[in-house]
Amino acid sequence: MQTYISHHNFHTLLDTLITGGIRVVAPRLTAGTLLYAPLGESGDMVLDQLPRRSAKEAFFPVCEDILSYEKGGQQVRLTDVEPATFPVTVLVGVRPCDAAAIPVLDAVFSWDYKDEFFLERRRKTTVIGIACTTADDACFCTAVGLSPAETKGSDLFLTPVADGGYLCDICSEKGEALVADGSSLFTELGNVTPLPFASPAVPAFDLKKVKGWLDGHFEDPLWDGTALRCVGCGACAFVCPACHCFDIVDEGTEKSGKRRKSWDACGFWKFTHHASGHNPRDKQPKRYRNRIMHKFKYYDDKFGQTLCTGCGRCVRICPVGIDIAAIVAEIDGMAVE
Amino acid sequence: MNNTIDISHYAAIADSIRAEAARILEQGVVTAVVAYTTGRRAGSVQPVIITAAAEAERLTFTAASVNNLAVYLTKAKKDIPRSGRIGIVVKGCDLKALVGLMGESQLQRDQLYLIGIPCAGVLASTVRPAEALIAATLAPKCRECDAHLPEGCDYVPAVSLPSAPTLEPSYAAEIARLEALTPAERWAYWKEQFAKCIKCYACRQVCPFCFCEQCLCDRNKPQMVDTTPRPAGNTAWHIVRAMHLAGRCAGCAECERVCPMDIPLNLLNRKMAKELKELFDYEAGFAVHEKGPLNSFMEKDDQSFIK
Repeated sequence: MQTYISHHNFHTLLDTLITGGIRVVAPRLTAGTLLYAPLGESGDMVLDQLPRRSAKEAFFPVCEDILSYEKGGQQVRLTDVEPATFPVTVLVGVRPCDAAAIPVLDAVFSWDYKDEFFLERRRKTTVIGIACTTADDACFCTAVGLSPAETKGSDLFLTPVADGGYLCDICSEKGEALVADGSSLFTELGNVTPLPFASPAVPAFDLKKVKGWLDGHFEDPLWDGTALRCVGCGACAFVCPACHCFDIVDEGTEKSGKRRKSWDACGFWKFTHHASGHNPRDKQPKRYRNRIMHKFKYYDDKFGQTLCTGCGRCVRICPVGIDIAAIVAEIDGMAVE
Repeated sequence: MNNTIDISHYAAIADSIRAEAARILEQGVVTAVVAYTTGRRAGSVQPVIITAAAEAERLTFTAASVNNLAVYLTKAKKDIPRSGRIGIVVKGCDLKALVGLMGESQLQRDQLYLIGIPCAGVLASTVRPAEALIAATLAPKCRECDAHLPEGCDYVPAVSLPSAPTLEPSYAAEIARLEALTPAERWAYWKEQFAKCIKCYACRQVCPFCFCEQCLCDRNKPQMVDTTPRPAGNTAWHIVRAMHLAGRCAGCAECERVCPMDIPLNLLNRKMAKELKELFDYEAGFAVHEKGPLNSFMEKDDQSFIK
């Protein structure tokens, strides 16, 4: 179902939510960097660029406490963090590449173990996606089967129209509820002209072909060729909307402290370093290989889809210019039907 | 202000690099050359290590040749196969790092073949690599560069440096601004910046001087520094980094360029460099010092801290 909201009414909707005590998270300049952050008012929202970090942190924060411990005498008292206390949130201005990654994360966090931290935030969050009208040459959503108009992962999806307002696609019950709550602000879809969608330039990958090649090329000169220069930081994984590895550590003293969960990255040497001293991924190209394998083979083996939404963040920020779109295109070129 | 930086000589430099790399590989002067090649995106450039003369045609040099390639020669990057003498393309700032590494006995001059670049400057960021090089897109380090012409190289392309516009140094101004704040205000500034840190360690991984085989921050027996990206661990990491680089950092500013969270890391390094200059009259340069200012004692050293 489609409806329309003017630019002014959209801001009124968000301000009404904020004053009503709803946490509204949107792209906002934070110490000079565009990040998804809670808004104090709708005017702080910046919608013309892709935030530096993805929207995954709305569900899977950079770092979160999962329990605290306190030692007194022979007793150790453990206190769980209660996901029920997580706030109801509206996540706004989510680009299709970020929104499409949310269902990708759903599959992982509700697979054999139900991650209540992720799932409770997911239940309590309504996602307002927004179509892209511009793209740069790092963007490649269309190459991985998505598009600048993809509504996957969004509850309400906005398409900018020529007058500055938005055409709204209602994509779920949550989206329907949001529109119902602010019904006076939405109007009937008149004769609006949606702005043309962006058209990323990277040609579509044949993802089945790519996976087929990866199935048989765990060992291949490609890995050294493309990833010997990888310096082994975690920047690509941390800006990625779909990467979801995390580490769990205890921090504090012997008397009291917290158990914390924070983002981890397969690019790190330490990621697979065993207590014995052995490291099965003993060279950087093996670590980079895992990044490609996980995105285009392992995740597909397990969940039947690709773990990359083509946002291009890793392409833009890699310190040494490693370009996942170029690598997958190369694999696509080498693979046979 | 749209001061265009004249880099018309970079095309000739690229030609010279290709020819020289091919020659030294062909004649067996070196076993490999660490240089730059073009990437898929318009204007993009990336590090490359070539081992055959035929590959030299892939090499380039442009305003997007930002990387300090010295990082690939450190023991922290031991996956890079090395034997014999290695050729490497260096800008003046990169050469200062190599000189520092020689001073720390990490590299030997006779194991290197230095291809020096008469450099007019590079981009601050490669998020948009096709951007024109103007004052606003120029790397801040280039505004105050004193090393446009690397000295002591084995080969320097025979091109002359175009005249460059005079630009106000930005680090000096920003350090002066921060120094004028109260400690509480300054703390608030850095707290806000460090709050963005996600502990990706890109700053560490690109740093030629971060060659510890196991970083203190990766050790957990004992756990010196909290590993999680939270205020305590982030602040500790950035202090460790700044202090460990004091008197060593050669100012390539790669840490700042690669930070995906835009934390102005080189400000810390420049502040340290300023202190080192004032206290020990030390500056990173083209001359190899066997011992850095913090590894040696001289009678004239300031001892006013001894009460």
